[in-house]
Amino acid sequence: MKSLRPLYTWLLPLLLLLSSCDLEQDVDVKLPPHESQLVVECYLEPGKPLRAVVLESVSYFNEPELPLVPDAEVIITHKGRAIKLPFSPVQNKETGKYYTHRKSEKLNLQPGDVVTLEVKDGKGRRVTGSTTILGQVPIEAVEWKFNEKNKAYLLTSFQDDPNAANFYRYMVHRDSLSNSSDRDFVSNDRLTNGKRVSYGSGYDYEEGDTLIISLFHLEQQYYDFLGSVSDARNANGNPFAQPSRIMSSVKGGIGIFTNLSYNRRTVVITK
Amino acid sequence: MRFPAFAVYLIFILSLVSASVFAQSTYTISGYVRGTGGEDLLIGATVSVPELSAGAVTDARGFYTLQLPEGSHTLQATYIGYESATRTIEITDQNLTINFALLPANSQLREVVIEANSLQQKLTANQMSVETLTTREAKLLPALFGEVDLIKTLQLKPGVQSGGEGASGLYVRGGGPDQNLVLLDDAVVYNPSHLFGFFSVFNPDAVESVELYKGGFPAQFGGRLSSVVDVKLREGNNERLGVSGGIGLIASRLTVEGPLVKDKSSFLVSGRRTYVDVFTRQINRIQDGKEDFNPIPDYYFYDLNGKANYKLGEKDELYLSGYFGRDFFTFNDADFQFGFDWGNKVGSLRWQHTFNPRFQVNTTLSGSSYQYQVSNKIDVFSFNLTSDIRDLALKTDFNLILDKGHTLQFGAMATRHAFTIGRLNFDSDDNRLSFGAGNDYTATEAAAYVADEYQVNAQLSLNYGLRLSAFNSGGKTHGALEPRASARYSLSENTSLKASYASMMQYIHLVANSGASLPTDIWYPSNDYVKPQRSQQVAAGISHLFGGGRYLVTNELYYKWMHRQIDFRDGANLFVNDDLEAEFLFGKGESYGNEVYLEKIKGRTTGWLGYTLSWSYRQFDEINEGRRFPTRYDRRHDLSLVVVHELSKRVNLTGAFVYGTGNAYSLPVARFAFQDVQGKNATVVPVYGDRNSFRLAAYHRLDLGLVLKLKPKRGEADLTFSAYNAYNRRNPYFVYFEQIKDEEDNETLGFQAKQVSLFPVIPSVTYNFKF
Repeated sequence: MKSLRPLYTWLLPLLLLLSSCDLEQDVDVKLPPHESQLVVECYLEPGKPLRAVVLESVSYFNEPELPLVPDAEVIITHKGRAIKLPFSPVQNKETGKYYTHRKSEKLNLQPGDVVTLEVKDGKGRRVTGSTTILGQVPIEAVEWKFNEKNKAYLLTSFQDDPNAANFYRYMVHRDSLSNSSDRDFVSNDRLTNGKRVSYGSGYDYEEGDTLIISLFHLEQQYYDFLGSVSDARNANGNPFAQPSRIMSSVKGGIGIFTNLSYNRRTVVITK
Repeated sequence: MRFPAFAVYLIFILSLVSASVFAQSTYTISGYVRGTGGEDLLIGATVSVPELSAGAVTDARGFYTLQLPEGSHTLQATYIGYESATRTIEITDQNLTINFALLPANSQLREVVIEANSLQQKLTANQMSVETLTTREAKLLPALFGEVDLIKTLQLKPGVQSGGEGASGLYVRGGGPDQNLVLLDDAVVYNPSHLFGFFSVFNPDAVESVELYKGGFPAQFGGRLSSVVDVKLREGNNERLGVSGGIGLIASRLTVEGPLVKDKSSFLVSGRRTYVDVFTRQINRIQDGKEDFNPIPDYYFYDLNGKANYKLGEKDELYLSGYFGRDFFTFNDADFQFGFDWGNKVGSLRWQHTFNPRFQVNTTLSGSSYQYQVSNKIDVFSFNLTSDIRDLALKTDFNLILDKGHTLQFGAMATRHAFTIGRLNFDSDDNRLSFGAGNDYTATEAAAYVADEYQVNAQLSLNYGLRLSAFNSGGKTHGALEPRASARYSLSENTSLKASYASMMQYIHLVANSGASLPTDIWYPSNDYVKPQRSQQVAAGISHLFGGGRYLVTNELYYKWMHRQIDFRDGANLFVNDDLEAEFLFGKGESYGNEVYLEKIKGRTTGWLGYTLSWSYRQFDEINEGRRFPTRYDRRHDLSLVVVHELSKRVNLTGAFVYGTGNAYSLPVARFAFQDVQGKNATVVPVYGDRNSFRLAAYHRLDLGLVLKLKPKRGEADLTFSAYNAYNRRNPYFVYFEQIKDEEDNETLGFQAKQVSLFPVIPSVTYNFKF
């Protein structure tokens, strides 16, 4: 229920009401020297080639350039076999997503498999990570209901496993996965362990809408990372928030190494 | 004993024994000071013996005690707004009871005056580290939106900091706002603020006095680490019915008071309400349907205070006090109904019994609750979240004046706490969804104390006591001995040395993860895992009276250790979490500093100058890799200057200037790009450095005010003009880093630090009346 956390943001408009328009000004902030860290983003997905992004963190006021690390070596190890991903930056024109290291090989990943990651560069920086392949959590039902204005709300239900601490990410896209998601939030089963869980929406949909519903089954390290990224971003500009440290899943740097295990349904809203 | 400083306490005890051997014979002079203008017992009146530099102030019962040697002495009773009274007494071989009845002076101010202790009394009092605030002071000073706020006025005193621009939270000697025990007529107020802490819950029209203890805590107080804010409500006028009130920029007040039964009973009822919502609703109505118009949320608060007293007989009196206040925030549109309301309910019934003038007991039954509720209805889904704390408390306090200069105070208290933590209900109209969560806890807190105030001789007085406290929750009992001691030694007629030691325990904790005072902050009991907080404080000071008794300068040094301080894990979920304890972090803290205070309370120009040099740190294994960090309100320099000048009988000019080192603040030091699984629009993620390692720009502000007394046909009235932040200083509220983008192609061009301020110059006018 992380989405409940910034309740106080409802009250921010009131603060704005109290303040007049001319109360924001540019200031100079002198930042301490920053020692760059490797930043890794690598998601393993069954049936997909191996791809990773390796960049580095930069001092906040540096020029907005993509901080590539060409000499970074990326090695993924599965069942004792180490696979090196060469530096080969590319951007997918359709999704806009870019990768710095990739290899077309596809791994046969099974739930329970442990895969490790090692990234090192010429400056002696070394990042390591590990992920355990998770099984899917099936979406049991996708339902919708219309109101008198011909708008429908969406209800997605699944069964939580009572024997494990589970973490989820729920996404809804309209028409195509290339579009920005309509709904996107993470959740855990601390309050719903072993229960049938339903995620709802507002009356946001109309007849004929094509919706792609994805239920990701997350590792806790991925859940923590996403939460900390969200908290860190929200803390910048929110006087009430406590700054959050990034909870990386990798050691020796910043970033996430995990696997994407999701169940996906595509539905067309009909009456 | 576990307390390292307990040795200090033993030394006090030993010094008491040795000193008493050499003490000359003293006798107890005690009695009541009453007013003859309908106010009956006068609280805070001074009874002094100028030739001995001895004096006392009447307590909440209008009662004073003095220890004087044999011989002839002149007693003088004073209270601003009243004629002084003088009595010459001859002490031979017995204690004496001397009562005073003061005549009202011919001053318009009389009705609103609650005067601070006289400087002479402050010099000679045993108690140090205490600030007494007068409604008169607060009413004369300029205020934000013209809303007089006694708690904010306390922030102008040394050793007391505000949390930020406009906030009414108190940060006392490096302690957090959760470490203040706020009492309203002996009942605890758990969240003493409205609207994010911009206003305190105390309506000045209903308040008689506020005392803030920063250290040297008397043994009857306990349960919080850093301060005691003791607020007393006014008693109603017992001679005639009266109405008073005020109309301000954002709120109005009305008070009705008068006798219920002649000479036996009086009452006071006071209320206020903000009315910004009246205007915002009109704006919403006019703008409704216009493109690009976003409705303004609805907000208002109100509070009601009431007090009644009844004299059962010569020796028994009952006092009934109550407070009820609530804030409402709503935001609705066609598909969306958001409501957020919060508030306190406080009530107390005190029975005062006087066995004889030297022996009294006060027994108080009180109840207190704080609750917030967030509700949201989006289409068919409804969500409701509530948390609260509910107390029922009984306490009894005895005051016994003994011979040989001893005054004993002893008593006991017990409180039953009930907590509801994050009670959540989530439903849909068609019952397809139903979900609930939350925890309920109960706890019992109890304490007993004894303290002896011992006037050894005219130069030396001691106060030493012991408080035994205990707390039970979840089958686990915590307990501790809390020794307290203080001493005053008069170096000369005009100079006193003072020192104190206090150990404090705090058994309930505020779950708050921000620098501001938020309504959603909830209280949580100690249990097997969450241990009670503890602090120890030593303070030493010197006071010097000069300028013919018109000026008093005080310097106090303090050092405070805080153990088992509480913070929360990064990313902690504090709203709905059935395993909240897993989010707690435990660490330690320390604060130290020096406070200088110069004050003048007589003459046409009065006021004070306060300066504090201080440090405040916390240390947690899980934060900053275990390195200590400054608290957000760590303020190296803090200066306040308050001046009130009586230009004429009808016009008062006031000014308040504050300067403070900028708040310690956390800012990102680096950033990285994160594109997520979707890859659309990679975002910038800030990487924060050490906690609170930056400083905002210094805070300074000048407020100006003018009080113009009018001459209405009936009663009294005045107009109070205020200019908050008179020179329009852009004080930093917070700083953030903005991503600057090209408007056409949305390309990132760079990054810029932005400082946001809250209040520019804010003029206001308030009309006050009384008849």
